[in-house]
This record gives sequence, structure tokens and C-alpha cells, in this order.
Amino acid sequence: MDTTTQGLTIVIILLAMVVSVVVTQFIRRRRDLYALREIRAYGALPRMVGEAIEANRTVHVALASSGLGAENTLLALANAELFYQVLRRTVIGTTAPIFSVSEASAVPLAQDTLRRAYESRNLIQHYRVGSVRWYPGGTRSLAFAAALTTTVNEQVGTNVLGGSFGAELALVTGAAARANQNVIATSDQLEGQAIAYVMSDEVLIGEEVFAGGAYLGGSAAQVAGVVTTDVLRWLLILGLLVVVADGLSGGVFSRLLGSLLGGG
Amino acid sequence: MRRIGSAFTTAIVIVVGVITLLGLLVGDGLGNLSLLVQTTGIGTMTTVFLQLATITIAVTVLIGIINLLSVHGQRILRPTDGRAMTRVYSLILVVSALAVIVLGTLERSGVLTGEPPVTMILLEGVQVSIESALAGLVLFALVYGAYRLMRKRVTGSALLFTVVLLVLLVGALPFSSPVIRLIGSIRDWLLAVPVSAGARGILLGIALAAAVAGVRVLIGQDRSYRE
Repeated sequence: MDTTTQGLTIVIILLAMVVSVVVTQFIRRRRDLYALREIRAYGALPRMVGEAIEANRTVHVALASSGLGAENTLLALANAELFYQVLRRTVIGTTAPIFSVSEASAVPLAQDTLRRAYESRNLIQHYRVGSVRWYPGGTRSLAFAAALTTTVNEQVGTNVLGGSFGAELALVTGAAARANQNVIATSDQLEGQAIAYVMSDEVLIGEEVFAGGAYLGGSAAQVAGVVTTDVLRWLLILGLLVVVADGLSGGVFSRLLGSLLGGG
Repeated sequence: MRRIGSAFTTAIVIVVGVITLLGLLVGDGLGNLSLLVQTTGIGTMTTVFLQLATITIAVTVLIGIINLLSVHGQRILRPTDGRAMTRVYSLILVVSALAVIVLGTLERSGVLTGEPPVTMILLEGVQVSIESALAGLVLFALVYGAYRLMRKRVTGSALLFTVVLLVLLVGALPFSSPVIRLIGSIRDWLLAVPVSAGARGILLGIALAAAVAGVRVLIGQDRSYRE
């Protein structure tokens, strides 16, 4: 890592820390301080879970190619938070939910997420470790997708698919569509994202999956996370605009910055 | 008691997280700051933490195998959905898993020899070819998806999607008529400018949100390990 990247990373982390802590305090004092924009998938999710419970069908959540300890650990954690919110609405039904994972390191995460969901409803006696299923995905998640096509045939009412799906997501969403099941899908891969947009009932695009806790849980810290992401996003846009303006003006901004930093 | 436990785990996560972050981020190339990190032993602690994480992740494979055998063992003995095929699928899965474990063990212990190894033949001959066949099916699933999208609701974005899809497919045709060439150049522009810009936007958004999620873990705002 070069020095510039190190410096930028430190600045981003410190900025995110400060904004996150400060905004959390403000939102704790005034809950209506920041209005979250509408995300249709989060609006539809409680209805979809309710439909599955009323039809005595189960809710299936799947985490593809994301686990703990790899480069997509944070994606796994973000999806786990979304799934927790889904599962705590699901566990009040008579049919146990199904949690499929493709990475072995995600099995303890999935078991813990499910346990927390049952515990949050004081229904821990109904928790079964067997509700978490590991289907090894291999180098591509095609094997995992194939396994999920059999899972979606098991009296499933609603599927929430997240993690790192590629084009093979089409197999799962296709099978779910043929069985008239609801599907909410997302992926950090562009191919998977495109498939999710076309073939799911509701889609979570890009970083929206990271906001699951804020939209469905709504704690001050979770909402502060969304605000922090927005602040960083606006700073990034500002930075891009400055770079463009600098290019168009023949380097006025970079000369100004250089003189401010004492470069002559 | 529960609150004390929660505070304890939060403290562990914050301390280990900050030390690892410092070791990885400041451990090298930042002059006196890096020197400070190296002399205080933070670099060594970072290496130890990373090794511990690697070993723990390796152990989770064992947890995964136990989970796989127990879940599908139950499905064979007590199928929840009453479908015969469920039992068959689970039986095939359990038998395959056990067979590969036995073959792998025999290979490692030197009982089974030969080049290429049997497990490699199984991987190349069975898994890769079946996955390739499945990949071929993705195209049909995609066409069905496009049809489903237009049938469900004809919105502006659905129309745009279908038009772009058609331009991309027609532009890839190997004919040399002027119309196809024109569509081909539109396709190239689409891929180079709007598609590339949109893709970068999505990836940047994911990166920023991931950074914030990491920071939330570091400052103890993530509650997944506290409950």
C-alpha cells in the first residue's frame, strides 16, 4: 500500500468514526432528525414475510459466497443483519425458516443470526440448528445455486437472496418464479445485481443491503451508519467534481492546494 | 450479567480490531508512526491475530461438514415436505460427501496412488462438467427473466433494459451490414460509457458502505456479537 492510499484510508476511517458517533448521539435525542428515503424492497419485505406465514409456508434466506475472514466479511455481516431482521419476523410462524450458506465460515454466523432471531421473540425453545444448511459452493457458486433450486421447492413462500451471486442467481430466481414465490435479491457482483433487477420481485441495489438494519430495525446507531455513508458519498462526489474542475481549468485547484500545503 | 458479557465481548472486538487495523494500515511506510507500531509489538500482535483467524476459519469447514451430514441425515430419515425426491437428493449428497472424504483420506495416507488423483478426476469430471451444463441453462433463465419483467410491469426502466439488451445482443451478431455495424458501435459506446459508469457507481457505493460497516464494528456499534 503506498503512502497516499494509507493516508486516504486513515482519513476515511477517522471521518466515518467521527460522523458515526456524532450522528448517533443526535439521532438518539431526535428520532425524526433524518428521514430515510424509500427503498421498495424494505417496504415490501414485511408484507412478503407475512404472506408466507399466513400461507403456512417458510421463509428462505440465502447467503452466497460470503463468509467470515475473507475480503467480503463485511458483506456477510451486512447480509446477516438484514437476515436477522427478516428472521425475527419469520420465527413467530409455525414453519421454521431455512438459512442456506455456501461458505463454511458463514455457518456459525448463520446459526448465531437464527438463534438471536428466536431469542428476540422469546422462542429460543423452537430454535433448531438444522435450519441452517451448508451447500459448499466451490470456486463458482453454481453448485450452491443448483442446491438452492431444490430448496425453493420445499414449501417456501418468500426467498431473500443475498451475498455474492453471479449470473447463476437466474437459476434460483427462475425456480422460485415457477413456484410462485416472492423473491428479494441482491448481490455485490454486477452480473448478479443485473439478474436480481430483472428476475426478482424487489431488488436491493448496491449498498442498499448495508442499510437493512436501519430500515427494518431502526436503532439510532444503524440510522447513523446510513447517514455516515451518505456523508462519505457526498464528499466523494465533491472530490470527483473538484478533480474534473481542476482538469478543465488547467490545474488551478492542484496549484492552489500545493501552495496551501507549502509546496511553493 | 448479560450486560457485563456484552461489554466484555465489545471490548475484545474493539481492542483486537483496532490493533489489527493499526498493524495493517500504519505498520509500514509512515515514518515515526510506523516505527511506533513496530516497536510496541502491534505488528507482531496483528500477525498473531490474523493467524488465529485463519485457523478458526479452517475449523469452520469441520463445522460445515457436521452440519451437512446432520441436516441431510435428518432429511433422509424424516423428510419435512413428504416428497420422495428430497430423500433421494439428500442421499446422493451424503453418499458423495462421504465418498470424497474417504477417497481424500486414502490419497493423503498413500493407500490410493496414481496420477491424476481420483479426487481430481471426480472434481474435473463430475463437478466442473455439471457446473458447465448448469451455466448453459443460465441463458434460458435470463430470457425467461426478461419476458417476466415485461409481463409483470411495463415501466420506463423495464423498457430501457429490454432495448439495451436487444442492442447488446444484435450488436454482437457477426454480420457486416451497415445497420449491424451501427448497432455494434452503439453497443460499444453503451458498454464503455453508461454501463461502465453505472458499474463504478455501484461498486463505489458498496465500498463506502462496507467501510462504514467496518467502522461500526470497530467502535462497538454493531450488535451482532453482543446478544
